[in-house]
Amino acid sequence: MALINVASHEIQCKIVYYGTGFCGKTTNLQYIHQNAPQPARGKMLSIATESERTLFFDFLPIDLGTIHGFRVRFHMYTVPGQVLYERTRVAVLNGADGIVFVADSAPDKLEENFQSLIELETNMRRMGKDLGDFPFVMQWNKRDVRAAVPIATLDRYLNRRRVEAFEAIATSGMGVFPTLRAIGKAVMARL
Amino acid sequence: MEQLTNVVVSESELGNIARVLGRLTQDTGASHVLLLDKSGQLISAQGQVGNRDIIALGALLAGAFSSSRQVAEILGEHDFRTILQQGVHESLYTTLIGDQWLLVVVFDKQTHIGLVKLLARRGADELERTLERVLTGGAQAKEQVINVQFRNSVANTIDLLFQD
Repeated sequence: MALINVASHEIQCKIVYYGTGFCGKTTNLQYIHQNAPQPARGKMLSIATESERTLFFDFLPIDLGTIHGFRVRFHMYTVPGQVLYERTRVAVLNGADGIVFVADSAPDKLEENFQSLIELETNMRRMGKDLGDFPFVMQWNKRDVRAAVPIATLDRYLNRRRVEAFEAIATSGMGVFPTLRAIGKAVMARL
Repeated sequence: MEQLTNVVVSESELGNIARVLGRLTQDTGASHVLLLDKSGQLISAQGQVGNRDIIALGALLAGAFSSSRQVAEILGEHDFRTILQQGVHESLYTTLIGDQWLLVVVFDKQTHIGLVKLLARRGADELERTLERVLTGGAQAKEQVINVQFRNSVANTIDLLFQD
């Protein structure tokens, strides 16, 4: 839920990166943390297992600076992607103002991507929200994998709402900032 | 397209909130008291925050609380409305206000937990009325801030900061 603090001149919005395990959610945030301009990026927090799998969430505050007298911040989160953390994903999704769905383009991940998307829709419905009427963009990550699923196929099976979708190779940064720009603007447009 | 649900805190409401938090800090002897929304965003802080990263603290506390609510559901409980985290030097007592807000009291060994629980409950009851107004009111204040020019300026800033 976006916070507009008129008294302290601050606006804060929550953006959540959602998707299956190992699809690149954390990699997106790490890239943003390493490559966003210095004043904009805050300290990244990662609650992860010893093998660096996200256990609870990653958190990265982004400060856009002062705009028309208001300090504008995005609080970026990732959810843990592994199947057993479904309830934790609900906890992190709470209060989101915008969602990025990161899909793994590997051919053997298509079904998992689909199930993850269904789960997201279900979780949103339980929160009283309609994903079709919410700031939402998709990212087709790992475009460099062998035999990556064609974009047209990903669009057909995963993007029935025809939201903005971006090709990405998050490990190299390709597509990370375009995705961020799109979700940031989508959230602001609906504030 | 429907607008996002948002929370608009006006000057007068923030003043009321600060007053309640300040009194709670003083009466409990807490080092500081925070009011967060359930997604971890800080509404107000009173007391000796020092150079603590309260943005990260808010995110973590909200995450922990949100997680505990999922635990409650699995156990068949309606909700867990408080969490106590006890440290060697300092402890945190977090209580839910309504369904939307978290009141966090950070206190040391000099303060008895019973006193914190009692006064936090009273503070929460007092804040609940103010926070109901925050949730339901504020549309006019928001419209003065969030207009077409503002949205365009934010979009331009996003483009500038996150260029490829």
